[in-house]
Amino acid sequence: MTVWPVTESREHDSLVSAARDGDRVAFGRLYARYARMVHGILLARVPPPEVDDLVQEVFLSALRQLHALRDSSRFGAWLGTITRNLANDYFRKAIPVSKLTEPVTENHAKTGASDHAAEQEAKAILAVIRALPESYREPLMLRLVEGMTGPEIAARTGLTHGSVRVNLCRGMQLLREKLGETSA
Amino acid sequence: MKDDYLWDGSGEPDPEIQKLEAALGRYRHNQPAPAFDRLREIRPVEQRRAFFSLRWLPQLGAVAVIVLLAAAVFLVLRSRPSGNAGPSWDVARLEGTPRVGWHAIGDKSGPGKLGIGQTLVTDNFSRATITLDETGRVEVDPSSRLRLVTNGPGRKRLSLERGTIHATIWAPPGEFVVDTPSAVAVDLGCVYTLQVDDSGAGLLRTTMGWVGFKLKGHESFIPAGAICQTRPGIGPGTPYLEDASASFRDALSKFDFSSTTAAERTALLGVILADARKGDVLTLWHLLSRVSDPDRPGVYDRLAALAPPPAVVTRQGILGLDRSMLDAWWNSLGFGDIYLWRTYEHNWSQRPPKVN
Repeated sequence: MTVWPVTESREHDSLVSAARDGDRVAFGRLYARYARMVHGILLARVPPPEVDDLVQEVFLSALRQLHALRDSSRFGAWLGTITRNLANDYFRKAIPVSKLTEPVTENHAKTGASDHAAEQEAKAILAVIRALPESYREPLMLRLVEGMTGPEIAARTGLTHGSVRVNLCRGMQLLREKLGETSA
Repeated sequence: MKDDYLWDGSGEPDPEIQKLEAALGRYRHNQPAPAFDRLREIRPVEQRRAFFSLRWLPQLGAVAVIVLLAAAVFLVLRSRPSGNAGPSWDVARLEGTPRVGWHAIGDKSGPGKLGIGQTLVTDNFSRATITLDETGRVEVDPSSRLRLVTNGPGRKRLSLERGTIHATIWAPPGEFVVDTPSAVAVDLGCVYTLQVDDSGAGLLRTTMGWVGFKLKGHESFIPAGAICQTRPGIGPGTPYLEDASASFRDALSKFDFSSTTAAERTALLGVILADARKGDVLTLWHLLSRVSDPDRPGVYDRLAALAPPPAVVTRQGILGLDRSMLDAWWNSLGFGDIYLWRTYEHNWSQRPPKVN
């Protein structure tokens, strides 16, 4: 497990304890710390348009179950497990939904062609990452999409620096290969 | 090490990783935290299990009676108008299969609830309504995403992330607010339609009453029969009547949203003033505080010609943007009492809209 600086670790544990005792403001601060992690884990598993709603579901579920968490320092790993379970539930219950929107009808600026191309490119890269083995998918989403550093990923997920670093490097190597194949 | 940039962003940047970061940044988490402190008490899962455990079995009958009585009281109270804010809006399906989270609202599942932090999603074939007895009814068109942000007494706040809603609000003015990516709509007692497209641009059309539209101090008042557009990063444009001439609307749109030089803006203003009719005083009044100092006398003169100012208003005061005189002139135009806006808008802190 990752060892945090003592002051950060204490503050984190006291936030979790306060949230467990019903302090909703403390829970809101935990949301601020962990929302990117939850978002990235979900993005590695479910369609992007569903992710924002599921993030809310994850935190509501965590709020209901928080009393059962005995070790405050394991909050990140525990939240990660809830997130993965909810993502799995999604596939058991989900209904496919198209996400297109009609443009505003007055003569407003429309999304340009270059933006559309960038969006398509982003979709394609995301699809390649989502096709990677699970152990690489999550750290790459957290690093490349959510902008978290390796040490942050380790701190939030409860993994060691070593394993996060290895998975990031191997995942990135594999991603380069796959993107090379795609563009070839 | 050569992977330092990948690890913690230090060391020599890797152009390929930077490119990936830039491309994928659009998917980054950007939702504000739900108002957890406003959520109703959430009963822990363990407590709910304990309720059904065998050691409670003897009391089960008594509890069941109490629950039935409570349910009966709830149903009776629910059927009457109440001053208390409920925790959720009622969601009803109009067409297709709208969803709250991944829970489908359909014929068989019956009506649903929209709680704080939850999002109502309609696909291309779905429509739904959300209703709160003491506030109003909002019809949600296909391809929309509507989130409930807060729901306290006297403070109902939704966020229209994209799509179209038709709101009929009977709550007191200033109590119902809708965030969009490019402006905040504050209800001042009205019926209106609000659209947001995928770029975050919006359009508000008022059918009855009036609506305040604002972003970072940039405000527009949209009375019945008027339209106002918004753009991400710019905020609400100048409102205009639906029957304004095409040249008037075109010049106004360019004046509000196009990147123009001072000379071009003056030329566009010339078209607007020349095309302005009696009803367009709505637009001219808004322009008083949006044009440059050298252009303001022209707007004053045209507005004064179409709608002479009340006695308390002086040319000098308006050219100096005296707020009490601007308000007095607005009130004389017959679109609504600006006191409502001045009283209620400060109650709502602005959420800086975020657009990818």
